[in-house]
Amino acid sequence: MNGEVLLDIQGLEKHFGDNRVLRGITTQIRKGEVVAIIGPSGCGKSTFLRSLNLLEEPTGGKIFFEGAEITGPDADVNKIRRKIGMVFQQFNLFPHLTIRRNITLAPVKLGLLGREEANRRADELLARVGLPDKANAYPSQLSGGQKQRIAIARAMAMNPDVMLFDEPTSALDPEMVGEVLEIMRELAESGMTMVVVTHEMGFAREVASRAVFIDEGVIKEDNAPEKFFTSAQNPRLRDFLSKVL
Amino acid sequence: MTFQERFSLNFIEKGRYKYLLSGINNTLLITIIAAAIGIALGFLIAIIRSTHDTTGRLKILDFLCKIYLTVIRGTPTTVQLLIVYFVIFSSVSRPMLSAFIAFGLNSAAYVAEIVRSGIMSIDPGQMEAGRSLGLTYPQTMVFVIIPQAFKNVLPALANEFIVLLKETSICIAISLRDLTYGTQLISSQTYDYMFPLLAGALIYLVIVVFLTWLFGKLERSMRKNER
Repeated sequence: MNGEVLLDIQGLEKHFGDNRVLRGITTQIRKGEVVAIIGPSGCGKSTFLRSLNLLEEPTGGKIFFEGAEITGPDADVNKIRRKIGMVFQQFNLFPHLTIRRNITLAPVKLGLLGREEANRRADELLARVGLPDKANAYPSQLSGGQKQRIAIARAMAMNPDVMLFDEPTSALDPEMVGEVLEIMRELAESGMTMVVVTHEMGFAREVASRAVFIDEGVIKEDNAPEKFFTSAQNPRLRDFLSKVL
Repeated sequence: MTFQERFSLNFIEKGRYKYLLSGINNTLLITIIAAAIGIALGFLIAIIRSTHDTTGRLKILDFLCKIYLTVIRGTPTTVQLLIVYFVIFSSVSRPMLSAFIAFGLNSAAYVAEIVRSGIMSIDPGQMEAGRSLGLTYPQTMVFVIIPQAFKNVLPALANEFIVLLKETSICIAISLRDLTYGTQLISSQTYDYMFPLLAGALIYLVIVVFLTWLFGKLERSMRKNER
């Protein structure tokens, strides 16, 4: 994979008081890549992902997005976030708005699309995630899997250049995991650049172009999935995989 | 005297019912304007306070708000009303304006704490979701957080405004002709206390019951999208 570098992360550190969650992470995310971030709970993988759109403010290190530093003091965080979509474990749909308004809120309020144009785009996205008839429903009327598919559509409405997924299937009932992973697979096949924190080893193996193992706040292994899962070098990763596979 | 004679004496003769009518008018006007000031100022204080609590910014404003809340909630409303009327507007007699300001500032303190509790009860994930889409902090507050917080605190806000309505009866301390004062004006002419006071109490009760019904309706319509 040798697309242009979208995200360049250099020596990223994040401390919560004395707790050093990230201890120097350096990696690059290239256009079109699907990077699976794997690791034991508490290893810092979610913190790493949330640092990429500055939901967590890094304590040290630098992040460049499309060539420009986003960790500097003059960076326009709001502009940057428009281009970095995010999907959360708990969906975080807006419960007081209809599905259509959930999807159109940001593009309309930010003046990117007119109301009608945004509605058309919402209909397209709803069709794409397989929920064309839910435009006027409220989030509370949907199942967990449907909510997460809407959350993906909402993030896509901003036409992001990269999408971050923070354990997108961890809060779902088992029978709903498949429908969300299927949407994510289609998204990956369409060429979307994705960074996915996940416990779904099958997804990482089949869909990801790269798998990264984070442990104790650093990257311990960074490899193509086939090598990552079959011939892991790092003993911690071998131990981890032996428990989850 | 028969019931009808007393009723006629207190309310019909010399058009004494007009004391009650103009009293209702003033009571409602004070309540509405004070509530409007309370909502505007209260939301502002709540947003400042919760922004400080969640992000650590706005330290000075937060400090000023805390002093304000402490003073307003730590002193009796009657004393506040007297201070506004006799101290701040000492050179001019402006009872209505004094009541608007005193009750407005007083209500703001209580509204602020109610709304703040509502804002703080919203899952932080809502703010993160808004921000992750590129919305600014104020945009996310206005379009995502406040509407949900408002819905959650509506019952408490309704209660606050009902308390406010009843508390305006202390306007008697500055001789403002509100509903309660109207009943006393009638009594002073007819030497009958029971009829005017019971009528006044009944009118307050009817207004409160109506407000309760209205807020209940509003609450139900706002909860439509849940389950």
